[in-house]
Amino acid sequence: MNFRKTLDSVLAKVLIVIMGVMVLNVLWQVFTRFVLGTPSSFTDELARYLMIWVGILGAAYVSGKNMHVAIDVLPQKLGGKAQKRMHITVQLLVMAFALLVMVIGGGRLVYITYILGQQSPALQLPLAYVYAVIPLSGILIVYYKMSDLLKPNA
Amino acid sequence: MEYIPILVLVLSFVGLLSIGTPVAWSISISAILTMLVSIPYMPAATTVAQRMGTGLDSFALLAIPFFILAGNLMNKGGMAHRLIAFAKTLVGSLPGGLALINVIAAMLMGAIAGSAMASASAMGSILGPEMEKDGYSREFGAAVNITSATTGLVIPPSNVLIVYSLASGGVSIAALFLAGYIPGILTGLFLMIVAMVWAKKKGYKRGERSNFSQVVKTFIDAVPSLLLLVIVIGGIVGGIFTATEASAIAVLYTVVLGFAYKEISFKTLPQILLDSSATTAVVMLLIAASISMSWMMSYENIPQATSDVLLGISDNKIVILLIINLILLFVGIFMDMTPAVLIFTPIFLPVVTKLGMDPIHFGIIMVLNLCIGLCTPPVGSVLFVGVGVAKTSIQKVIKPLIPLFLVMILALFLITYIPQLTLWLPELFDL
Amino acid sequence: TGPKTIKLAHGLDVNHSVHLAMVEMGEELDRLSDGQLTLEIYPNQQLGTERECLELLQIGSLDMTKVSAGVMENFAPKMKVLGLPFLFRDRAHAFEVLDGKIGQALLNDGEQYWLKGLGFYDAGSRSFYTKEKQVTTPDDLKGMKIRVMESVTAMNMVSSLGGSPTPISWGELYTSLQQGVVDGAENNPPSFYLSRHYEVCKYYTLDEHTVLPDVLVAGTQLWERLNAQEQQWLSEAVKKSVVYQRELWAKAETEALEAVEKAGVTILRPDKVPFAEKVSTVYDSYVTDPDIAQLIEQIQKID
Ligand code: NA
Ligand code: NA
Repeated sequence: MNFRKTLDSVLAKVLIVIMGVMVLNVLWQVFTRFVLGTPSSFTDELARYLMIWVGILGAAYVSGKNMHVAIDVLPQKLGGKAQKRMHITVQLLVMAFALLVMVIGGGRLVYITYILGQQSPALQLPLAYVYAVIPLSGILIVYYKMSDLLKPNA
Repeated sequence: MEYIPILVLVLSFVGLLSIGTPVAWSISISAILTMLVSIPYMPAATTVAQRMGTGLDSFALLAIPFFILAGNLMNKGGMAHRLIAFAKTLVGSLPGGLALINVIAAMLMGAIAGSAMASASAMGSILGPEMEKDGYSREFGAAVNITSATTGLVIPPSNVLIVYSLASGGVSIAALFLAGYIPGILTGLFLMIVAMVWAKKKGYKRGERSNFSQVVKTFIDAVPSLLLLVIVIGGIVGGIFTATEASAIAVLYTVVLGFAYKEISFKTLPQILLDSSATTAVVMLLIAASISMSWMMSYENIPQATSDVLLGISDNKIVILLIINLILLFVGIFMDMTPAVLIFTPIFLPVVTKLGMDPIHFGIIMVLNLCIGLCTPPVGSVLFVGVGVAKTSIQKVIKPLIPLFLVMILALFLITYIPQLTLWLPELFDL
Repeated sequence: TGPKTIKLAHGLDVNHSVHLAMVEMGEELDRLSDGQLTLEIYPNQQLGTERECLELLQIGSLDMTKVSAGVMENFAPKMKVLGLPFLFRDRAHAFEVLDGKIGQALLNDGEQYWLKGLGFYDAGSRSFYTKEKQVTTPDDLKGMKIRVMESVTAMNMVSSLGGSPTPISWGELYTSLQQGVVDGAENNPPSFYLSRHYEVCKYYTLDEHTVLPDVLVAGTQLWERLNAQEQQWLSEAVKKSVVYQRELWAKAETEALEAVEKAGVTILRPDKVPFAEKVSTVYDSYVTDPDIAQLIEQIQKID
């Protein structure tokens, strides 16, 4: 199996686990409040942070599969070389955004929240762990776009 | 008024979209470009990254992945077709029967939960494939699903009306809730009429009329599935769980039933979870991007500046309301609902109350306007969900969407200029 | 160099005492600096929640914000002390502490986290409101699900009183109360009134368990951008704004209590002593935290 396929399947497994935990977590919230009568204090927060991870990490997975919604009327109409050039431009732009905003901007966000020690209210979890998904996903997107561009007949 | 940010925003956004950049990335890239006009690169990039993360930091949003998941489970778990089979025996013989079922189900679901995106994902993934199997065009199905999903935001309970109450400085939530019933149902009826006419014109096949024993048989088959509705509604109304928690209960129930029907196994479950998280991610990236965009617009005072200019035009009540409706329709094209409500309520509400308008009435008008915006490209979260679950494209759904938009706008104007449609119920209950 | 603009964001409505006091601050700043320093205010959570705005100060894309001390504690841990129930004997004691050396030290403590506290706005004291059951003693809270802010201290407080603390977001609270997901909540009178929770909750128990002030915060990045003269102007304008806000708050509090009473809410004024006795366990958990323990001792010493 090549690297990209391995990465896809690792990412898929992580997403499956997070999604599953998200459901169990909210069910636990209902159970503790309704059945046990002592509401859990952390489930609300955990669910939100897991969703940030599913959303942002999933964005990288979806990018790798080229599943994001686009309006490609013009490129299709132009066809041929122009379409190919536009396609490459789009890949480069997304790559630039992932690098300059998600990796560098997101990296700085993680750095700031880490050194300044911001903690989440309920879990007392460093916010840096939550935000870490942004640069991580950025790196993955850069990789996927690069690998798309370098592929013959991309 | 500062023109440069607006210029950068519009040009980069249109440019990016037209070369086929995925919508979420177009929004994100033009947001950072516009921000760079007034904020240095490092803080700007960090801010966009922060908005992406915090845009998803909401417990209410969780209903989206859960209803996507529940929808997928109902599909794969054999519940969906049992429900459809039953519904078909009831209204399947009418023109556009399945589309009518979609609208009614969306209104019902909206009356349970109040998340248009959740409703669009659930109905779309359950009814979409059934419609296609029956010869409906995929795009028509998606268009009906998208527009009817928004009725749930007006029909109570509605989180967005709560947001409006907060933004307006305390308009009664109870009154807003009651005020939403008639406008929501009216809009739904209008959509049903269009669906019937369209289906008749396209000659979509009508189902056969069913006899009584068929109705009873399909009903009994559908009971466990229908029970989900009872569990969800009963749970929320009975105060056992919140709307968001109800979506997780729906997941649990659909898993159990899917296993009972032997249509889901531990082998197929991971794939369902993966498909659902991919769909979720598509939607979430769009929301995250919209949140960055809204932040940037507020930061540059773009909403305020726009309305200043447009409101300088007249002081006639009918004209002002028309202008506000047009502004909100325009805003809805680019902006998500919650930030739009939070930003525009303080701008418009003082103007309309000065003209003698009831704040409850205005809240409903505002939400109805933005409901239309949720279905319009390029930025429309319900549109994205609807298109995503139907696996079609935005440009393809535009054509069937147009007549549905027109009746939504017609309903909006009726509700704007006939205040009794909104105010009658709350007044009846002395609110 | 031309005039400087200070961007200030907060989560409240434009009619709220905090916003009005900020407008006053802007006018004062304009007058003092002769137009060299202007304040641009973004109300209504336009630029984010309180937590997010603090982060934006650290990031450097926003200059100032107003947050509850309860939100500030996750950035500057010493602020936790203000969330302790029955810490202050009364409001006068609270102001004495906040406007004195201890308050100043707490404000300055934020600097190491790139957040410079400038002053304390009044946010009154928080009390319980309940849907169906009257609460006059801690025993009445037994088994009741009470919505609290996502703060460890707040949760500990409700548990120690015998209730079940339930974190629910403020936006979802109205429906949660209406549908009975929780039996009650706690907040100050203006918030109880403005959120319309009084439409659902018919009992307001003024036990005044926490005096949790609002904090006006500037990013240290802004502070460094200003010269000594400008810093002076800003400090003066803040001072004036704080005085004005406290006047407005007092009025808003009275009006809110009158309004909810008129709407049919029963206002209960319980004996606070049994409540204060029960929460002593909350204090026990801070024995091991020398910073907080020391602060508690200092605060209790102030007359
Ligand atoms: Na609803
Ligand atoms: Na739109």
